[in-house]
Amino acid sequence: MPAFDIGSQLVNLGSALLLLSCFAIVAQRRLSACVDLFALQSVFLAATAALVAFLTGIHHIYAAAGLTILIKAVVIPNILKQVIERLNVNREVDMNVNVPTGLLICGGLVMLAFFITQPIIPLGALLTRDSLAIALAIVLIGFFTMIARNKAVTQIIGFLVMENGLFLGATAAAYGMPLIVELGVFFDVLVGTLIIGLYTHRLQDTFDTVDTSRLTALKE
Amino acid sequence: MLYLFALFVAGHAAGLLLPFCVPAQPRLQNRLAHGAACVAGGAGVLLGLAGLLAPEPWAASVQSSIPLLTFAVRLDPLAAFFVLIISLAGLAASLFAFGYVTEFYGRSSMAAMGSLYNAFLLSMTLVVMADHGLLFLIVWESMSLVSYFLVVTEHEKADVRYAGLFYLVMAHVGTAFIALSFLICFQESGSFSFETFRRPEPPLPEGMRALVFLTALVGFGAKAGIVPLHVWLPYAHPAAPSHVSALMSGVMIKTAIYGLIRVYFDFLGGDFPWWWGFTVLVVGALSALLGVMYALMEHDLKRLLAFHSVENIGIILLGIGAGMIFHTYGLKEFAALGLLAGLYHTINHAMFKTLLFLGAGSLAYATHTRNMEEYGGLLRRMPWTGLLFLIGAVSISALPPTNGFVSEWLVFQTLFLSLHLPTILLQLLLPLAAAMLALTGVLALACFAKAFGIAFLALPRSSHARRAEEVPVSMRIGMGLPAVLCLLLGLLPMVMVPLLDRIVRPFTTSIAERMVAVDRWALAPVNVEFSSLSSPAIALGLAGLSLFGLLLVKTFGGMTRARYGKTWACGINITPRTEYTATGFAQPIKRVFSTVYQPTVKLETEVLEESRYFAKRRRFELHIEPVFQKYLYDPVVTLFATAADRMRVIQTGSLHLYLTYIFVTLVVLLLMAV
Amino acid sequence: MTSILQAVVLIAVQTGIMLAVAPFIVGLIRKVKARLQLRRGAGVLQPYADLAKLFRKQPIISTTTSWIFTATPYILFASTLLAGLLVPMFTSRIPLSFAGNIIALVYLFGLGTFFLILAGLDAGSAFGGMGSSREAIVASLTEPAMIMSIFAIALTAGSTNLSTIVHKTALLDGIVLDPSPHLMALAALMIVALAETGRVPVDNPATHLELTMIHEAMVLEYSGRYLALVEWAAALKLLVFLTLIANVFAPWGIATSLEPVALAVGVVAYLAKVSGLALVIGVIESMFAKLRLFRLPDFLGLAFILALLAVIFFYVLRG
Repeated sequence: MPAFDIGSQLVNLGSALLLLSCFAIVAQRRLSACVDLFALQSVFLAATAALVAFLTGIHHIYAAAGLTILIKAVVIPNILKQVIERLNVNREVDMNVNVPTGLLICGGLVMLAFFITQPIIPLGALLTRDSLAIALAIVLIGFFTMIARNKAVTQIIGFLVMENGLFLGATAAAYGMPLIVELGVFFDVLVGTLIIGLYTHRLQDTFDTVDTSRLTALKE
Repeated sequence: MLYLFALFVAGHAAGLLLPFCVPAQPRLQNRLAHGAACVAGGAGVLLGLAGLLAPEPWAASVQSSIPLLTFAVRLDPLAAFFVLIISLAGLAASLFAFGYVTEFYGRSSMAAMGSLYNAFLLSMTLVVMADHGLLFLIVWESMSLVSYFLVVTEHEKADVRYAGLFYLVMAHVGTAFIALSFLICFQESGSFSFETFRRPEPPLPEGMRALVFLTALVGFGAKAGIVPLHVWLPYAHPAAPSHVSALMSGVMIKTAIYGLIRVYFDFLGGDFPWWWGFTVLVVGALSALLGVMYALMEHDLKRLLAFHSVENIGIILLGIGAGMIFHTYGLKEFAALGLLAGLYHTINHAMFKTLLFLGAGSLAYATHTRNMEEYGGLLRRMPWTGLLFLIGAVSISALPPTNGFVSEWLVFQTLFLSLHLPTILLQLLLPLAAAMLALTGVLALACFAKAFGIAFLALPRSSHARRAEEVPVSMRIGMGLPAVLCLLLGLLPMVMVPLLDRIVRPFTTSIAERMVAVDRWALAPVNVEFSSLSSPAIALGLAGLSLFGLLLVKTFGGMTRARYGKTWACGINITPRTEYTATGFAQPIKRVFSTVYQPTVKLETEVLEESRYFAKRRRFELHIEPVFQKYLYDPVVTLFATAADRMRVIQTGSLHLYLTYIFVTLVVLLLMAV
Repeated sequence: MTSILQAVVLIAVQTGIMLAVAPFIVGLIRKVKARLQLRRGAGVLQPYADLAKLFRKQPIISTTTSWIFTATPYILFASTLLAGLLVPMFTSRIPLSFAGNIIALVYLFGLGTFFLILAGLDAGSAFGGMGSSREAIVASLTEPAMIMSIFAIALTAGSTNLSTIVHKTALLDGIVLDPSPHLMALAALMIVALAETGRVPVDNPATHLELTMIHEAMVLEYSGRYLALVEWAAALKLLVFLTLIANVFAPWGIATSLEPVALAVGVVAYLAKVSGLALVIGVIESMFAKLRLFRLPDFLGLAFILALLAVIFFYVLRG
């Protein structure tokens, strides 16, 4: 990698910021702040995508970036905020894993991601190739968030973080998917969030809590 | 050299035998035994220095009539260095013992104690000088046995007997593994001589080498107290009389470090696979961190110090492990640096741990208790002991400009060279090890701030502490020697590094010339641009700037006389009960690292009948889960106990049956021989 | 001979600037906080007046204390000042760089912390013990993050010697330029600096409520000249951290040679940089509430992870 390639450095920086916001989400105990951080992460994602679009001149990535801002940074956070407000759950009281341990595990996941992608990275010639490892790390951390947290809202956020990771991965590996596929994915995510939001309501109605660990009671 | 060696052996032999030859007067026996040990210690120091400076290793051997056994001793720089450490610590402990053992007059046999003490020192020295596998195992075993007898000096106490038994079992497990590793070397070459171990004919196959590596790690590790083989150490070391604890913790566990270096760099010298160094590094990091974490929770001063030995062995292994990793990849200079850092920490730890154990002995001598919660305010009552203990505490906390800082700094520098390693796994492992070392260092600082602060500062917490008096002069001299050496080793690393370089040179390469930089003022492990440390400059700077502070005070306000008054305690009189306890001090740490400690808290409250808000009595219990003992050792012990239970069937107590067993065995053996 | 004279002059000038600027920084932070709370606040020169007053006052010493209590302020003052002399301030070519690298800096602070903890325990009051115990846990949690961020810095500059790091960064000579590891290490070191110097959200320098204080609880029994030295040392420690951050991550304007003009520019640039950082700290202190003691592992754990990521990124981006 040429050391003075400003463009690729900036892309790396954007990806790094994405990763950092993941860690902030893991460290954050307040649900509404988690949602804000997710919105911020989506903004970083859009910025990175737009940067890639600018550097490569591939225009449909601009569209994807715009959609990211619209759906992931505005619409979905609003839906989630409404859910939080209506259900009056703003605090993650109990977590399966405490915060410092969670952070350390996520640190381990990042190392794992870099370790796995290490043999692939030098093969790529794209300017985004280093982002692939970061994308994988973000997917893993998103997954971990879903496992480590009990409240349904944070699990949605974990899922959305994974989606962000996949988007970054697609941009990194192949300069983005065809626009029609992107559109489909955005639509899926939006509908998915709506459905999970509804399901959270049902959960609240049935158990008086949005703690998904209570679902074990359903088996009887 | 021969004369020095003879004087050394004669000194200890005199200390071994003379106490039995005189009438049973404890005073006389004490003087004879420890006087002889002092003479031998002096000779040992000279022997060590001579061996370290000699251009060629000195060797001597006597053939014995027993097959395969030769009484061969060899004093190469590595052995000489350990002889030096053992003798320095031995000298300090012997001086200390003159006063200290008066406590045991009438309780224990002075002749036996003095004689065993000499035997202990002699066997430790012979361990590092032995040049023959069988001889090594014999003196190693006698070292373990003699120290066992010393541990159970106060055998009338049940916990001492338990500690002794635990120690004996672990020591033998360790010896078994060492014997195994020597037998593997023996099997291929057919000789127990270390010379053939070095150049085995035919060379050992790769699998066998790995087996030697592992058995030696377990065998020596059991003696050194690496996690998870450390569990016996906090029982056995505190149980012994303090001057013996000092030697056990300060130097006996170092013989295991000697053994590891001897086997890895000398016998197996050269090409290790990378996972050897990796294993040693990981074991070192874990030992360092867990050792200090458990130490923080201790209130028994000697047990606390024993856990710190686990920690420091870990730090030494971090240096050696990093050295081994660099050795794998042919980075000889960095390997030398790692090894040198490990060895430097070895001598440093020997000095400050001896000092601290002797200090703990002084406290026990003055207050008749080892519980820190019953100390307090001792700095005013025992100013010398306090000052010397403080020097030890600052050294072990690795604060500049003492010796612990210099060696820990060198270990850090070795770990900082991870950039030069080829694989990302190792590149990331070394920074993580450095972070663990940093955590270890600061926890050690917290632990010794606790130990010194609770024991020596503020108000006495018990009548024992209130009545404490300064210990006799001989004990203070015994502590003074290692204290001075702690300071010298910290201030003069430029003198020490060339000496250590003579040890690492045969195994790796020479780096002393490059390391001593800036007109012999500073150490620069790689070059001055990368890093440098000048502990004399730091010491001078600290002294100068303290004076500067005094000067500022003079200029800005003058030295107005201070007014003295009681500490304000919100209107009530200050008593020892309002002070912070050692338990309270460590509580936040216990809570933050509760994953490691698994604490269980039990609080029982008896309340008044009238109102539940007024407690009549409160009972508070706090336990730390001994994770390793519970999940690793207890199952094994249970397994053996069950197996032994099954085996009882063949033990009927009938003499005829036993004779039949012997007869059958004999017949079977004869048949096999045919 | 001239080089020794030059070294002595440089050391004296650096000592002088440190001693003179440290109280100003404290005053500036207080001023910023006051303005953000819509108060007028005391003048930025107030800390100087406080120090002068404390130096003249008669000290009161508890009868339960030992010599540790009276010696600690001097040890603390000397170790902090010496640590400051190891950090390049207005020139990257500092005379004392041979005496110790960045690890020595960390351990010099450790020396001060050790004696301060002892002094907290010495008076025998529960407040002092509480402060000492809390200081111990904060220091324990900070240290790994600090070493890790130092590791990241050392890797990008290829040196652990502060003088070399700053010199190379200032000249953009042979260092790794990727911004990501730098930014992460900067964030981590910033958190570490807040924790080490007892600022919000870790500790509150303005409080005297027993439930919340850490540093203030340890030094509660000090008065007169001893308190003056302790306060000055605390201000110096803050200044040293700000200097470290300013010059390692933004060595702009620092004198890379010993010419008079460059040195003058260096001094001005230095003052501007640390004042800017003081503003940032003032804003941070106004924006955040103090964290509960047992929430600190989250905060400092984040610093550790940031530093770890910086190291990982360095290795990966290097390829």
